Amino acid sequence: MGLTTTKQTQQAVAARIQRGGTDWKGLLFQLSVLASLVVALVLLLVLLWTVFWDGIGTLTERGLDFLTSGTSGNPDTAGVWQALYGSFWIAVFVVVFAIPTGIAAAIHLEEYARDNWLNRLINTTIRNLAGVPSIVYGILGFTVFVEILDGITGGRSVIAGGFTMAVLVLPIVIITSAEALRAVPYAIREAGYGVGASQWEVIRHHVLPYALPGILTGTVLSIARALGEAAPLILVGAVTGFFASSKDASFTDELQGPFTTLPNIIYDWARQPQAGWPENTAAAIIVLLVVVLTANATAIVFRNRYDKKRHQ
Amino acid sequence: MRSQRRFLKIAAVAAIPALIAVGCSDDDEEGTSTGGTSAGGSASGEVVISGSSTVQPITSLVAEGFKAENPDVGISVDGPGTGDGFELFCAGETDISNASRPIKDEEAQACADAGIEYVELKVGIDGITVATSPANEAIECLDEQAIYAIVGPESTGFDTWAAANELAAEVGSEYTDLPDAPLTITGPGEESGTYDTFVELAITPTAETRVEEGKISEDEAESTRPDYQSSPNDNVIVQGIEGSDTSFGWVGYAFYKAEAERMKAIAVAGEDGTCVEPTDETIASGEYPLARDLFIYVSKASIAENPSVQAFVDFYMTDAGTQAVADAGYVQLTDEDWQATVDAWNAV
Repeated sequence: MGLTTTKQTQQAVAARIQRGGTDWKGLLFQLSVLASLVVALVLLLVLLWTVFWDGIGTLTERGLDFLTSGTSGNPDTAGVWQALYGSFWIAVFVVVFAIPTGIAAAIHLEEYARDNWLNRLINTTIRNLAGVPSIVYGILGFTVFVEILDGITGGRSVIAGGFTMAVLVLPIVIITSAEALRAVPYAIREAGYGVGASQWEVIRHHVLPYALPGILTGTVLSIARALGEAAPLILVGAVTGFFASSKDASFTDELQGPFTTLPNIIYDWARQPQAGWPENTAAAIIVLLVVVLTANATAIVFRNRYDKKRHQ
Repeated sequence: MRSQRRFLKIAAVAAIPALIAVGCSDDDEEGTSTGGTSAGGSASGEVVISGSSTVQPITSLVAEGFKAENPDVGISVDGPGTGDGFELFCAGETDISNASRPIKDEEAQACADAGIEYVELKVGIDGITVATSPANEAIECLDEQAIYAIVGPESTGFDTWAAANELAAEVGSEYTDLPDAPLTITGPGEESGTYDTFVELAITPTAETRVEEGKISEDEAESTRPDYQSSPNDNVIVQGIEGSDTSFGWVGYAFYKAEAERMKAIAVAGEDGTCVEPTDETIASGEYPLARDLFIYVSKASIAENPSVQAFVDFYMTDAGTQAVADAGYVQLTDEDWQATVDAWNAV
């Protein structure tokens, strides 16, 4: 058994049956999937390379200044500080509101809800919601958070934007968390009940820890999604020009005031005609990529550490 | 287990400021939000500006200069478009509206219905440049009638320049010997101010006579042919113009100036038939036919209630304002015209 691998066996058997002829169809299939991979990779690399090439000059020349400057009509002094700040708050709103709610909803659907028509309907609806175009969430955000809840959000503010993004990623958090919970072997639950644990204890001490790495992966994807969206925030009122708050503005004033995010600033800069903006746009794209990759990497580190601890 | 507990703790700590923010704002806002909408603008030292994306860079530069001298004022400049800007302005949501054309009658009516009075200030000029590929040797100059024959509502389906010859002759153009070369057209879409201005300046004059002759409807007179490549992004339009040796397209003059080596501007013949190249001089003097004025509209209620708005426009009316027009790539008003704008503001 241990002397031959599956592949060797497969090759030997295939050779015997096909009398040593070459498996042309198989070879063709293998080549075509390889070609697809190469096309995808080359396109991605070309995109990354051109952006990097266009933007790296601005980043090395301006350095920290590019990260700490605010919006400006002058490409030489414009920076991404306000956009970074806005994106940070979007992420905070997603982490604080969407992720706990989403995970809780997933636990209810997977562990407590009965398998009846109502819950199946809810499940289907959530899946469909995850596929709703983001611009539709923008309209929802405008109506609910900008217009109706004006008193809380201050209208076109980062609070309204944050809530909109939280709602947008909620279905994604629920679906990925539910998948992670479903992947927990049923034997683990049975073993828990077998030694007399209550349902709460089984979920708390066995199911959740087992599912946590999968849940974390889902939450990272949702944060990355929220950090990359521009369209809904245009509707919610992300400023495309210049803005600055009063020096006397309190923390809450700032949260309720005008805002922008990295994708919105990229959108705005990309349509500015004057020289200097294309390079700034590319530099802002690099910043956005770094932010998203950092968020992803942090969560992967978390997940791996957690995975290791659990297995010790 | 431990890291999970820590995660929950972090989440709880992060939630506190957000909850406080939500809690506080509830009380602050209730009083001002109702007052703000009826009075037509906030009086809190915030200047809210929206409107034309064309004028946005000018006002942004002015706002930055103003902000540097007045750090205690909050200010925001947005650019959804002239039409959207007036909608916000006449709903009392903004203090100042940027515009790349004068306010339309129905927009003025909406403002009047809402009790919003305003002052109109002309701040600069933008020209439309009709362009082709630098490789195009055949086309140097066109008149408005020829432009109408190439992109007007009756040109739908023309896929060579020569196809427009017959129509050009019919509408009285001097240019009825256009080359038999493929015609690919790229321009801004209908939502763009540049589209509106192009139609208004280049299409409508000829179209109006066609309406009188009964050849087209009044609606058609306010549009181009629908079958051209449209994009809201100027860079995409230039790529389209570069993309074919015998292309045709139009962009704002500021954008043409910034990307002049990628496009060849087609001179436009004025009333007397002389060809005028788009340059800073011909646009400022009014010689070049395809140019438009840029405005800011200031709400009188905002001026009265919000000293920051008054101070901001005062700053706009200094040299900083006219310098910003040039820095943003537009054409400055002549000294007399600028003085007329300043006088109009001082008269308020």
